[in-house]
Amino acid sequence: MTGKLSLVVNGAKGRSISVPDDERLLDTLRWRLGLKGTKEGCRTGDCGACTVLVDGETTLSCLTLSHEVDGAKVTTIEGIAEDPEGRRVQAAFEAEEALQCGYCTPGFIVALTGVRRELGSEATSAALVDGLQGNLCRCTGYLAILRAVDRVRDGPP
Amino acid sequence: MTRSDAALKSRGGAVYGLDLETDGMLFGALVPAPVASGVLRSVDLTAARRAPGVVVAVGPDELAALLPNGGNAERPVFPKSRILYRHQPVAAVAATSLAEARAAARLVRVDVTNEPAFIDIEDRYPEWPSKLASNDPHVVAHVVARHGDLAAAFRTADLVHSETYRTSGIAHVALEPHACLAVVADGTWKVTTSTQTPFGVREDAAEILGIPQESLVVEGTWVGGGFGSKGAAFLEPYALLLAAASGRPVRLAFGYREEFLTGRSTLPSVIRLDTSVKNGTITGRRVRLLLDSGASLPGRDFATGYSIGFLLGPYKIPAFEMEGYAIRTNKPPFGPHRAPFAPQCVFAIDSHMDGLSRRLGVDPVEFRLRHVWREGDRTALYQPVGPFGAAAGLERAHAKVAEWRRNLPAGTGIGVGIGFWSTSTGAGGEVRLHLTANELVIEQAEHEIGSGSVVRGLVAVAERYFGLPTDRIRVVSTSTATAPFDSGVFGSRTVAALGRAVEAAGAKLLETLGARASMVGTPRLDVDGRRLVLVSGRTKTPVAELLKPKEREGGLVTEGRHYGRSGAIDATRAVEGTFYPYTDFTASVHVAAVSVDRETGSVKVLRYAAFQDIGTVLDAGMFRGQVEGGVAMGLGTALTEETLWGPDGRLGNPGLLDYRIPTIAEMPPVEVVAIEGFLGAGPFGAKGLGEPPIIPVPAAVANAVADATGARVVELPLTPERVARALKLL
Amino acid sequence: MPFTLEQPKTVREALQRLADPTGGPSVPIAGGTDLLLDLDEGRVASTRVVSLRRLPWNTMRWESDRLVVGSTLPLARLGTDPAVRRRLPGLVDAVDAVGSLALRHRATLGGNLGRAAPASDVVPVLLALGATVRLVALSGHRDVPVGQFVRASRQTDLAPGELIESISVPAAPVSSYVWQRVRPANDVSQVGVAVARSDSPSGWHVALGGVLPAPMRVVEAEAMLTQPNPSEAEVEVAAQAAARRASFVTDKRATESYRRRLVSTLVRRAIARALRDEASR
Repeated sequence: MTGKLSLVVNGAKGRSISVPDDERLLDTLRWRLGLKGTKEGCRTGDCGACTVLVDGETTLSCLTLSHEVDGAKVTTIEGIAEDPEGRRVQAAFEAEEALQCGYCTPGFIVALTGVRRELGSEATSAALVDGLQGNLCRCTGYLAILRAVDRVRDGPP
Repeated sequence: MTRSDAALKSRGGAVYGLDLETDGMLFGALVPAPVASGVLRSVDLTAARRAPGVVVAVGPDELAALLPNGGNAERPVFPKSRILYRHQPVAAVAATSLAEARAAARLVRVDVTNEPAFIDIEDRYPEWPSKLASNDPHVVAHVVARHGDLAAAFRTADLVHSETYRTSGIAHVALEPHACLAVVADGTWKVTTSTQTPFGVREDAAEILGIPQESLVVEGTWVGGGFGSKGAAFLEPYALLLAAASGRPVRLAFGYREEFLTGRSTLPSVIRLDTSVKNGTITGRRVRLLLDSGASLPGRDFATGYSIGFLLGPYKIPAFEMEGYAIRTNKPPFGPHRAPFAPQCVFAIDSHMDGLSRRLGVDPVEFRLRHVWREGDRTALYQPVGPFGAAAGLERAHAKVAEWRRNLPAGTGIGVGIGFWSTSTGAGGEVRLHLTANELVIEQAEHEIGSGSVVRGLVAVAERYFGLPTDRIRVVSTSTATAPFDSGVFGSRTVAALGRAVEAAGAKLLETLGARASMVGTPRLDVDGRRLVLVSGRTKTPVAELLKPKEREGGLVTEGRHYGRSGAIDATRAVEGTFYPYTDFTASVHVAAVSVDRETGSVKVLRYAAFQDIGTVLDAGMFRGQVEGGVAMGLGTALTEETLWGPDGRLGNPGLLDYRIPTIAEMPPVEVVAIEGFLGAGPFGAKGLGEPPIIPVPAAVANAVADATGARVVELPLTPERVARALKLL
Repeated sequence: MPFTLEQPKTVREALQRLADPTGGPSVPIAGGTDLLLDLDEGRVASTRVVSLRRLPWNTMRWESDRLVVGSTLPLARLGTDPAVRRRLPGLVDAVDAVGSLALRHRATLGGNLGRAAPASDVVPVLLALGATVRLVALSGHRDVPVGQFVRASRQTDLAPGELIESISVPAAPVSSYVWQRVRPANDVSQVGVAVARSDSPSGWHVALGGVLPAPMRVVEAEAMLTQPNPSEAEVEVAAQAAARRASFVTDKRATESYRRRLVSTLVRRAIARALRDEASR
């Protein structure tokens, strides 16, 4: 079965699109909306590469049925910079070179943005790290990412 | 300096292999063998061809019509009769959607006998190392080297320290699965792919398909992690075959499960070491290695003869005998994985050295300093050791151990491991420089895999060479149709070898410009406002004035090449089989501090320090990133990562929940220290860095666990249960 | 296998759809973090998936001393609620042990219970806390203790046409959950131990996860714990009793003997954690 749905992606209300019932948000974003910044990794919810925000909450788009989030606000890496918090996170990843191959980077940036919004400005480093433990990186050893986390926390708002 | 790909990647703009898409594209899917060992009777594509959306289905019987001469008989795209491992691709389909392609692949009827699989090398050879004939049909490689009177060394020794070590299979876990897009039209075969070696894929895929290399074009994409997994043709021949059969572009990509099931990774080993000591000095060593090579074909084992040398070095051993067997099993072929098999060898040798020194009552670092190579020493195969920072690194490690003994709580275990590596500068490469009025462009074949060696490393070399600022130098990656040849991003060679080609092309560039400007001596480049200028003494000439009219667009072009020397070994010591010479010696000395839960066996790494022999640091950020990343990957090998193979050749943990790579929550603070001045063969004395930092991690961690508990774990990884067993908790 | 998705807005509609065989076998989905993987791999052969996300079950409320959790409440909501943290620390321990934060934004308490995974971190703590499950069918409601609801690995007391409406958990300010894993973060627990101290009737509850045939209470261990602050010797006897009583399996995550060894250690640690937590308040 295929049905219509409509998403507010990165602030823009999209036209209604036809999507199969069992399609995941990851595939709708990448293949129907052309937003390939959201990365496909394990598709089992274990790597975090596909993380997007759905109504502001960090969400594994590989485990989300598109029809279940019909009408929701979705923020992907392509739109994260429209949120000042997202822009700060992005800038911190660039400044700290908290990326190598870059494949996990969109998921990490979206996740850190969402986790900071969820936990508020008082969030400790430990709480932020806990919020990122579902995002895997094989290149950096995470230490540059931790420096980016600290830079966002300690930097100017 | 921030790497030039940071902004693109942090905004989600980098296009990887898995992101490729084009009009009219079909989706491919592979049909896996349902058994690990057996004889293929038939592959029936009828039902798959009738399935919705299917455009083409190909199996072993279709090869003859699609490929010149039916492809390569020695390395067929699909097996003709014998199945070598479970999930070996036996057919492929292409359909208008991925779901349809996958559904159709399940409809292919594969008729195959099911024979007992040979999986566990120790099941088959329980008597090893004493009884294993080199003419055993499962032995795909047998290497033997010896020197000196080992029998006398053992006979006259104060003690002989003997131990057997075991290592598990590990997977690369590059986050981006393999993916490519193939197009075949008008006699030209083209594949766009996420690869570490565009020219390597061209050579390999052309060989498998039986087509001339010149008719195949390989173009790279951004690579979502390689670590050796994307270093040879893998999906490309299948995608090209489907494109040829369908006449349409075909995208072929693995899901993550397939990545595990079919990936070519490091497989298990057993290592036996016996070392004799007289008066506190090592007098001899016997090394036996039994390595699971998976479905490697005879002559295609690369690991045994290369890695076995790591079981002797980097130590002076007067008399030795080493013997290695590569054993064929019904698993996917053994494949290169960041410093192939070196972390496993160093786990064995440095656990052995640590245990031996403790038995002798000698400080483990002192004991290593007594034996470690220094410049001018000779390796076991009599290669001269060049500038080598191992002893300098050990001195620093010694101080770090003392500092941590003072500062860390009682019960903390501290261990040291030394790795050494040989940068593959013998693998050659070429670049093309384009100098315009305003910028210098480095054109070459490689695409960035993450380490920064392409986007930052080559630029850093050019910066130093020409004296230009970063923002005037750009690297472009072009396809094999236009780029000059390069061997690939592997062996820690990119900056060390391709960087030298940048220098060579640069020398020609300066020579040409100097002649045109009638300058005496070697000029240099500089920036004057927006323009580039050529400077010699006090004379400054705008580059624009030195370009010929036809060079105004594309710039002045020069090419440079670097084909380094491979080392030579003493053939009288190498008795049988192929040993690979080392070319450029790099040391990594690591110190780990751990706490061990005495009731559960859980190991927590508290602190970590890495002293890295690097020759010259060309970029501080890249240096730090490679070491930190290597340490993290090594911690996975040390503590949690292992592929679990069932007796029927089934992989028990083909996913990221049960194949456990480190997460952000487990990383200790890592002190990263460069040992500079022991110059290597790369530009400005730089040494390769991609692989060395992973090598000593398992050894350092295992030695720290032994230090904390007095119990030695002789099998990787050191999972809580293995540690609990060593602690005699069960 | 492809499937169709139905998204009823009322409980009655959901129950009717699940009862209606038209269009093939159906399965309810809450967060889907576990079920979707089984659907992808063909381990669940349903062709109709009925989503519970639009039902009014994304709730939690206190009814005097009991926390009533709607079955589709995301786990993350439990972990961050201050009252839950104070009155049910063991439940929070268990919820925090499940996957990553992003996963907990979707995974639900009802889904975790309904899927009855043998290595569930949540089921042992619900057992120790003496939680009950409220089930709803077109014919009415019934309440079932968690211990009777989870029967074996992947098997529950849920009848065809029934859904989990809510889970009712008595407050237990002295409670905890501890686990052992190969990798601390984001892994499946080899063994988990939950304990809770109840005042009426007074005593301790001890429950194990990672055991056969399903997570279980160990009354033999509980009988040894007669004091609100048991002595070290009592705890040790209870820990040994728990290790003796349970059945374990050897699988890819651990051997039977290692699991048995872990139980006694984790029972001691769970009791110590619960009491330490109390002392710090």
